[in-house]
Amino acid sequence: MSMRDDNTHSTDDLAADYVMGLLEGAELAAAETRMTDDAEFARAVSAWRERLADLDATAEALAPSAALWDRIADSTRIKPEIPLPGARAALRGATLWDNIGFWRGAGIGGVFTALMLVVVLIGALATSRQLRRELIALAQRKPIYVAVLVNDATKEAGAIVNTFSDGRVELIPLRPIDVPAGRTLQVWTLWDRSIGPKSIAVTSQSRTLQLDLEELPEAVPDQQFEITLEPEGGSPIGQPTGPTLFKGNAARAL
Amino acid sequence: MTGNGTITETQRDEAGLAHAHEAQLSAALARCAAGDHAALQMIYNSEAPKMIGIARRILFRQDLAEEAVHDAFVRIWSAAASFDPHRGSARGWLYAVVRKPALSIHRNEHRYDASDDSALDIDCEATVTRMPETSALRQCLEGIDRPRRDVVVLAYVHGMSHGEMAGRLKVPLGTVKSWVRRSLFSLQECMG
Repeated sequence: MSMRDDNTHSTDDLAADYVMGLLEGAELAAAETRMTDDAEFARAVSAWRERLADLDATAEALAPSAALWDRIADSTRIKPEIPLPGARAALRGATLWDNIGFWRGAGIGGVFTALMLVVVLIGALATSRQLRRELIALAQRKPIYVAVLVNDATKEAGAIVNTFSDGRVELIPLRPIDVPAGRTLQVWTLWDRSIGPKSIAVTSQSRTLQLDLEELPEAVPDQQFEITLEPEGGSPIGQPTGPTLFKGNAARAL
Repeated sequence: MTGNGTITETQRDEAGLAHAHEAQLSAALARCAAGDHAALQMIYNSEAPKMIGIARRILFRQDLAEEAVHDAFVRIWSAAASFDPHRGSARGWLYAVVRKPALSIHRNEHRYDASDDSALDIDCEATVTRMPETSALRQCLEGIDRPRRDVVVLAYVHGMSHGEMAGRLKVPLGTVKSWVRRSLFSLQECMG
C-alpha cells in the first residue's frame, strides 16, 4: 500500500467523522479549516453528506414558534460585514479581527490622530477670521466678466480682460506685442457709444495690468475693450488714434 | 392524457418538483449572498420545520432546537456565498448548517447521561425503516448487522459521541470506534 493510499484513506475517514459529527475540539477546528483550504477534503465531505442525506429526510417537520422568525430577522437585519465579525472570521479563518497587534496599533494610532485633530482645531479656531477673509477674497478672485481680445485681421487672441465683483479689472496678455520705439500701448473701454471710448491704461510693454476703472461705471455685458498702438504717453486727443491691435466684448463668466 | 397519471408519471412529477424546489433553494442562497433578506425568509418558510425536526432529534427540547435553528439562519445569512451548487445539494448544505449548532449545543448543554430519559426514546430501527425502500442508504444500512449499524444512526441522527454510544450500547469505547469505522467503510463500499 503506497503513501498516497494511506493519505487518501485518512482524509476520507476524517471527512466521514466530520459529517457524522464525531469530531470535537482541535480535530473539529482543523477539519473546519480544511473545508475552506483543502478541495480534496471538501469533496470527500460533500460525498459523505450526499450518502447520509436520506437520514435527514426521515426527520419530522415540526412547526417553529411564531417568535423564531422575528428573532432571526433581528439577528440578520444588516448584511453581516459589520455585526458578525466573529462568524466571518470563523468562515475565512483568522483575519485582522483576531489580530490583537493590529488593534493595539489602531488604538494608539487613533489616540494620536485625535490629539493631532485637537491641535489642528485649536489652530483653525484661532485663524478662522483670517480664513474667512481669505475665503471671501477667493470668491472675489473669480471674475464676473471676461473679455477675450482678438486681432480682427489674424483672428489671434491677444489678451484677456477680467472684471471682478470688487471693481478690479485686470488685463492679461496672451502673446508678446512688439511696441516700436516712441510708441505705447493704450487700453480702452467702451460701454456707451454716446460717450465714446475711455482710456483705462497706458503701458510701454505687454504685461499683466491691474486696470483702474474706479471713475467709470461698473462693467456691463458687451462692454468693449480694445488695445491700440498710440504715440508715447498715450493718445493726445483722449480718443484712440492708432491702429487697433486687439479688441473684444465682455461676457458674463459662468 | 389528462387524469390518467400512472405511478411512473407521478414519480416523475415528484422528482420534477423536488428538482424545482432544489433549484429554488439554490437560487435563494445566491440571493442571500447578494444581501436579499426576502430570500432568507423564503428559505425559512420552506425549510425551518424540517430543520427544527433535525435539531430536535439531537437536542430533544424545542427551545434548544429553536436556538440551533436561529444560529443556523444567522450562519446561512453570513455564509450563503460559501455554498457551491457543484459540491452538493442546497438542502444538504442547509441541513449540515443546522446540525453544526445543534451538535455544539448538545456538547455544551445536553450531554446524554445514564439517567437521561430522552435517550430511551431513540429507536434506530424505526429511523432506518422510515427511509423509502428504494433508498440506497437504507438498503446498505440493512446489509450491516445490528447493533453495529446503530452507531451510524446514533451519531449522525442523534449527535452522540463515541463515549455516549459506548455508554448506551454498553461496550468499550474502542469497540464503538471500530464499529463506526467498519460501518462507514461498508456504506462506502456498498453505495460507491
